[in-house]
Amino acid sequence: MGTLLAWGGLVAAPLLLHLLSRRKYREVQWAAMQYLLAAIKKNSRRVQIEQLILLLLRTLAVACIVLAAAKLFFENSPIAGSSHQRTHRVIVLDASYSMAYKPADRSRFESAKQLAENIVQQGTQGDGYSLVLLGAPPRVVVGNPAFEPRDFLEELKNIHLAHTGADLSATLQQVEQVITAAKTEHPRLVAREIYFLTDLGRNTWQPDLKETSADDFRARSQRLAKEARLVVLDLGQPTWENVAVTGIQLADSTLATARDATIEAEIKNFGNQSITRLPVEWYVDGRRAGQDAVDLDAAGRATVALTHHFDTPGDHSIEARLASDLLPVDNHRWLSLRVKPQLRVLCVGSGQSDGYLAPAEYLALALRPDDDRADSSDIQCDVLGESSLADADLASYDCVFLANLGQFTASEGTLLSSYVAHGGNLVWFLGEQVQLDSYNRRLCSLDTGAERALPARLTGFAPAGQYMFDPLDYQHPLLAAYRGRSDHTLQATLVTRYVKAELPPLSKARVALAYENGDPAIIEEAIGRGRSILVTTSADRSWSVMPLIGSLNELVYEMLGWVVHPAAPERNLLVGQPIGDTLHGQAVAANVQLHIPGGEQQQLRLNIDGDYSVWSFADTQLSGLYKAELPSPWGVESLSAVNVDTSESDLTAADPTELSAKLWAGVPFTHLTDWQDIAEAAADAAPRRHVLQVYLLSIAIICLLAETFLAWRFGTRGA
Amino acid sequence: METYQKYFDPRTLASLEGLELRAKRIVEGYVSGVHRSPYHGFSIEFAEHREYVPGDDLRFVDWKVFGKTDKIYLKQFEEETNLISYMLLDTSESMRYQSSQAAMSKLEYAQCIVAALSYLVLQQQDSVGLVTFDREVRSFVRASGNPSHLKQLLHVMSNAAAERKTRLGPVLHDLAERLKKRGVVLVLSDFFDDVPAMLTGLKHFRHRRHEVIVFHILDPAELDFPFDRMTLFKGLEEWPDLLTDPRSLRKAYLEEFGAFQKQLRVGCRNAGIDYFEMRTDQPLDMALTTYLTRRMMQYKM
Repeated sequence: MGTLLAWGGLVAAPLLLHLLSRRKYREVQWAAMQYLLAAIKKNSRRVQIEQLILLLLRTLAVACIVLAAAKLFFENSPIAGSSHQRTHRVIVLDASYSMAYKPADRSRFESAKQLAENIVQQGTQGDGYSLVLLGAPPRVVVGNPAFEPRDFLEELKNIHLAHTGADLSATLQQVEQVITAAKTEHPRLVAREIYFLTDLGRNTWQPDLKETSADDFRARSQRLAKEARLVVLDLGQPTWENVAVTGIQLADSTLATARDATIEAEIKNFGNQSITRLPVEWYVDGRRAGQDAVDLDAAGRATVALTHHFDTPGDHSIEARLASDLLPVDNHRWLSLRVKPQLRVLCVGSGQSDGYLAPAEYLALALRPDDDRADSSDIQCDVLGESSLADADLASYDCVFLANLGQFTASEGTLLSSYVAHGGNLVWFLGEQVQLDSYNRRLCSLDTGAERALPARLTGFAPAGQYMFDPLDYQHPLLAAYRGRSDHTLQATLVTRYVKAELPPLSKARVALAYENGDPAIIEEAIGRGRSILVTTSADRSWSVMPLIGSLNELVYEMLGWVVHPAAPERNLLVGQPIGDTLHGQAVAANVQLHIPGGEQQQLRLNIDGDYSVWSFADTQLSGLYKAELPSPWGVESLSAVNVDTSESDLTAADPTELSAKLWAGVPFTHLTDWQDIAEAAADAAPRRHVLQVYLLSIAIICLLAETFLAWRFGTRGA
Repeated sequence: METYQKYFDPRTLASLEGLELRAKRIVEGYVSGVHRSPYHGFSIEFAEHREYVPGDDLRFVDWKVFGKTDKIYLKQFEEETNLISYMLLDTSESMRYQSSQAAMSKLEYAQCIVAALSYLVLQQQDSVGLVTFDREVRSFVRASGNPSHLKQLLHVMSNAAAERKTRLGPVLHDLAERLKKRGVVLVLSDFFDDVPAMLTGLKHFRHRRHEVIVFHILDPAELDFPFDRMTLFKGLEEWPDLLTDPRSLRKAYLEEFGAFQKQLRVGCRNAGIDYFEMRTDQPLDMALTTYLTRRMMQYKM
């Protein structure tokens, strides 16, 4: 309001001067007054019009000078400023890896940085600048507005492209927070502008949001549009080509002790042109181990495989690599394999037998290598009674099977919860002994922050009957080995009793296998760094025929193979996800030396947590191998493979029309699609503004000359 | 500037104290430069000069010429009919006006003319009378040819106060009735009054067979209206004050003023009256030339 008055006052200055000038005059005596009065009488109307014309010319001249001095931007300029008001400009820089696409001498990201620099350099004194990276997760680089362009540009210069995707919703949330804070702390910044410097990738700008999330997103966008002017500067190209390694995994379910492994890599052509004989190279532990060549149709996929024998146990890396293209980030994919010399399994069960064996013994029997799937030395299986659980050294076991245990003490609950949280694996089988309340209270409390060891709460015993499994289309990876097979006995398994279970609210647990009535049969959940699997029926013959028909053996083996997988998910992650490890025992040295892709190294503190030592690293912004050198007593290397989320490899741009019709319905924004236009707009913005100023000043000069001439003309015409 | 010409310059005259001195300077300057004047041949107090030859009467030597040229000339006088000149001087408040462009007010300028002409007239042994007036006659000095009469004229003029409004028409009628002896009537005024009424008054003089010469005394600012910023014009002669931007009114004012002058000039011409515009920033010799031209015509008739 005050600013408006100030500007209004400036433009009204001629009028005020005109009025004031009537108070500032010279005095003369005048004899020929009658002729002067006669002149006024005859010409008063003409004089008024002439005075008005002169006043308008003076006002216009002053207004033009004021506007020129204020370096006004106009709405039709893409690099617009908000007239004479101090402006808070939030630059949202797309830092998803698709911005690394380099069609010419500069990548999209470099172009975006240059454009951001231009925006800042073309600002006016008093403007503030914030910088938010559009990523997954988003990152606020400069939150509190920087008023010194040099400081901002220094921050901008130090920004490097991460290999993340982009979470637009979370980014807008951050932007809103930045703007809200700036409004409070810098009330003089009365105008706001948000620039999205992006390739407008479809995966980012047309996210598959649930309806409620979409509503929230739209509401937030509308709030932002009310607060600020939204400008989307599209740095994408209309045509592009890209090939990426979209997946890498072990070809079959293999125990961590297996020395021979087949690794498959999936190659996808995201472009519109077919490719022949595309070379694919394999690297194992950094050494070239093989090469393939694939043919790819437009938008086609191909799979290549490598069979490799690992001579030594420990962590190994496998890399599938493509020849470089315009987007090199997704031309690599890594896999981290942990080959163990032996698996240690503990089976804990009640002593109650079904007349043949106790449940734990069935499990031990199932894990006994009496088939050709593993060497006898691969698995060391120990069996303990229920009463010995509290004294067991769980941390020394890769997996603990618990069968038909009746109830748990608090310390047992804590022991099991701690074990699974630190990376241990639990597999639960139930039975007649189970006391539901003890399970729920000790192992699956609903209290916030309570420790858990069980993925679901037990709600009651199902009545005796005949229940068959529903494999749920084998969607869960635990059942991946059954997929497409007809020789397995899982579907022929009859269950007569089971315990009903339900997932706690907001649980991340998943049902891997169900009964035909819809009740869960197998529920799994990652708890902490470990995993817990609940099988709602028994491991012995009392509730199911699994031990009789062999399906128990296969199921137990698959579960063990899944939870103790050589390519464990906690060591094969996506960019942005934290890496780390829980080690059994206490370290001598306190630090872990972490080698980051790109050559950087970091010292990480090793935290002691009871019988465990824990390290973690959250800032995985680059794809590649993260190698942790563990101190004594372990003295080994831990490898984590961090890969890109290849949804970002699809460089298809979002349709801005669809964007304004759906996700940003009712959200006004300026969108520029032509890269050349944007570049020229950025390059020409200041000159154009100067041209505008020249125009304004020219008009002012013309007005002043016209005013002088007309004043003279009005005074001398006909004289 | 020639030596003689400087005495016609109002700025020079303004630096001189006293009307008498001013009058003498004007006339002397005029006389010394007369042979350069376009009006060469006019007789002032001599018809011509003749070079001195031994035996000539030294009383007729023109010593002033001798002083200026080191040559001895004799003045040859012609017999002339005595002429009565009536000087009618407007002493109203508007005559007090003096702009920054002028070295003297209109009244002072007019007084200089009256003084110079009176001096000249008396030098020629003609008679001169003086009337000062505004809305009525303020002083009336009868015509006389006595050289000492000049002092009285100058005294009356010096004491004239410009304070009142002009009302020229009735005054002229009044004077036309009072000035019975035929002569040359010189009216010196800015004539800021009702033109038809003034013309009627002037025609009254013509009716009385006077030769009438109108010296329209005007300040350059009244003719050029040079004001270029907001000005408060303080009206003289009871006119109201006026605050205005003069630039916007200049054209209209000049039109109005020009119309006034034209009406007066045309009216005078139609009535057989000589009309002369006198700007107070211009030399005064025009007045003398004008008068002497009229005097010559009278003489020749």
